Amino acid sequence: MMKRATDYGYAIKPVYTPEDIAELDYRRDLGEPGAFPYTRGYHPEGYRSRMWTQRMTAGLGTSRDANLVLKKYREMGQRGGMCVISDRVFSSCIDVDHPLGRREAGVLGWPGCSLLEFEELMEDIPLTGQSITLLGSCAPTTLRLAYVVALAEKRGDDLSKIHGSVLESPFENYFGQTDVQPFDLNLKLFLDASEYVIRNRIRMRAAIISQHFQESGGNNAQALALEMAMLKELCTLLVTERGLDFDDVATLPYELVSIGTRFFEEIAKVRALRRMWARLAREHFKAKKEKSCHLLIAAHTSGRTMTYQQPLNNIVRCAIQTLAGAIVGATAIDNATLDNAHAEPSPLAARMSLNTQHIVAYETGAADVVDPLAGSYFVEALTDEVEREAYAILARIEEMGGMIAALDRGVVQDMLREEAAKRFREIDTGERLVVGVNHLVMPPEEEFEIPVQELPPGDSEGIARRMEEWKKTRDLPLVAARLSRLHTDAGKGDRFNLMPAIIDAVKAYATAGEIFGVIRMARGLSYDPFNMIECPFALQ
Amino acid sequence: MSAGQGKKVIVSMIGLDGHTTGGEIVARILRDAGIEVVYLGCNQTPEMIVRAAIQEDVDLIGISSHASNYGQIVSLVELLKRNGAEDVPVVCGGNVPKHQARLLIEKGVAAVFPPGSGADSIIRFVLGNARGATAGLCVNGEGIA
Repeated sequence: MMKRATDYGYAIKPVYTPEDIAELDYRRDLGEPGAFPYTRGYHPEGYRSRMWTQRMTAGLGTSRDANLVLKKYREMGQRGGMCVISDRVFSSCIDVDHPLGRREAGVLGWPGCSLLEFEELMEDIPLTGQSITLLGSCAPTTLRLAYVVALAEKRGDDLSKIHGSVLESPFENYFGQTDVQPFDLNLKLFLDASEYVIRNRIRMRAAIISQHFQESGGNNAQALALEMAMLKELCTLLVTERGLDFDDVATLPYELVSIGTRFFEEIAKVRALRRMWARLAREHFKAKKEKSCHLLIAAHTSGRTMTYQQPLNNIVRCAIQTLAGAIVGATAIDNATLDNAHAEPSPLAARMSLNTQHIVAYETGAADVVDPLAGSYFVEALTDEVEREAYAILARIEEMGGMIAALDRGVVQDMLREEAAKRFREIDTGERLVVGVNHLVMPPEEEFEIPVQELPPGDSEGIARRMEEWKKTRDLPLVAARLSRLHTDAGKGDRFNLMPAIIDAVKAYATAGEIFGVIRMARGLSYDPFNMIECPFALQ
Repeated sequence: MSAGQGKKVIVSMIGLDGHTTGGEIVARILRDAGIEVVYLGCNQTPEMIVRAAIQEDVDLIGISSHASNYGQIVSLVELLKRNGAEDVPVVCGGNVPKHQARLLIEKGVAAVFPPGSGADSIIRFVLGNARGATAGLCVNGEGIA
């Protein structure tokens, strides 16, 4: 029997009427686009004043390979911003020539373990005039920021003209993408990078995002609740521990929402998110600036919903999700691809996904009107409902003492595990239908074979050998001196900001593994999280 | 004998793969079926998995793969052989492209379960192919890849 309920388990009625939104007060609960509580969006003219950034995630093989892909995406119409994901090696902040790193360098993303890699990634690509987004995990946050600062200086670019997002919150590591660096270190470095961009007015955002949580199996209401819990905790830490003004802190976060195929529910979630953030900013944090009530929201169409079976069907799923992303007024959209359940995007799949965005943007008319579903009995009822459910979950997290406390008790992890298992069960028993997976299944021999892009075996080793050789050509006394300073600074306590020392080390071409290694040593940890290599420098 | 027929298996990620959801779901499915599961989690090298397999005396190894690092799964199979544990089958699950799945089978992986595989097919395969499985329960080696 097919389940007719929202993804967070509330029954859906066959029809919605004015009675379902009897409590709705237009001014109080919705407001005009551009007016508090911003349920309808931040811009009175919507996409007429600025079209969303249409982008695709890149990153596979060497930095030069990724550079060619980025250039190709520009040809395909990706102009507003670029988005690069790191491989598991850089995400872990070990080096590609580490015994474990060399086995999978460049396999699942960009092997950005040094400034040299960033220079190669960005060759002939401007740092200005488009948003620079580097994703992957929390640990490399300070390094990605240092790369941007260092390359801007080298190129003579005005740092204030560069914008994008290279910071990522430490919570993501709990949401199905585990990392090797300890949470307290990730949190400290995240706060360092955040404080650095805020104090220096660098227009770099921090990903404080619910996407990983939802992609790992969480539902919409949980994703919304956790987003609020993460924002509240990190903003509070920046205000109380780093002495920053909330109105400055509010320029930092951006949310990447995962948009799945439950069209109306996804739209309701984002509308509720805008309202919840606006109220948190104004009522809890006492925001003085109106702008602080705006949360930058980008959308990622859901990779999890992309099926392995009958991959061409994913083009349709992606289109429906992109339309939802456009209707909610996302600032940027990056799409999952038809081959998402097989490999990293092939050029064909990438083009399909970008074209999907172009078609939604220019052919459907969805970009002509702001928040076109406002006033729909169904969508307004769903918006209220997901918000109510999210507040209930948030209240439970707050009772425990907030997000970090809830994670310490394993409550959030259990919530995610339970929900992911429930979703699996729902599909396994046929309560939820997925075409080609548990409904209208096609014999495998009739399946259309899609092109699959992969890294040829041996390329990882090539990336590792290049780093090994290149490391010897650096100004080694300078690298050692910069790492020694970083090591000293890292011993000065959690509130001592390491960004200046990290930037100096990056400029001397110290690598991710070296920089993290000496910070770890200063904190009483082993140089190498895997205990396989020793620090190659004598620290003064 | 319990529903799990006294079988004991490892569920693990391999290499730097940090995507845990699939592995955790499979571990739960197998436990619910009465099979004893040793869940190793992330950051496990082939060497560590083989060591755990021998110490824990498991009957099958399940690798959750979301990182395209298939070479390490092949290394695991070879390492088991070198340690005289080739009777412990290695099963892989995750978003593995079809031609990779075929290569893995050629290299000695017992089965590859793609996304969307049902709980029943996974349990049946494990009970039918784990070391010392009762004859007659065997299912074809390619899973439903």
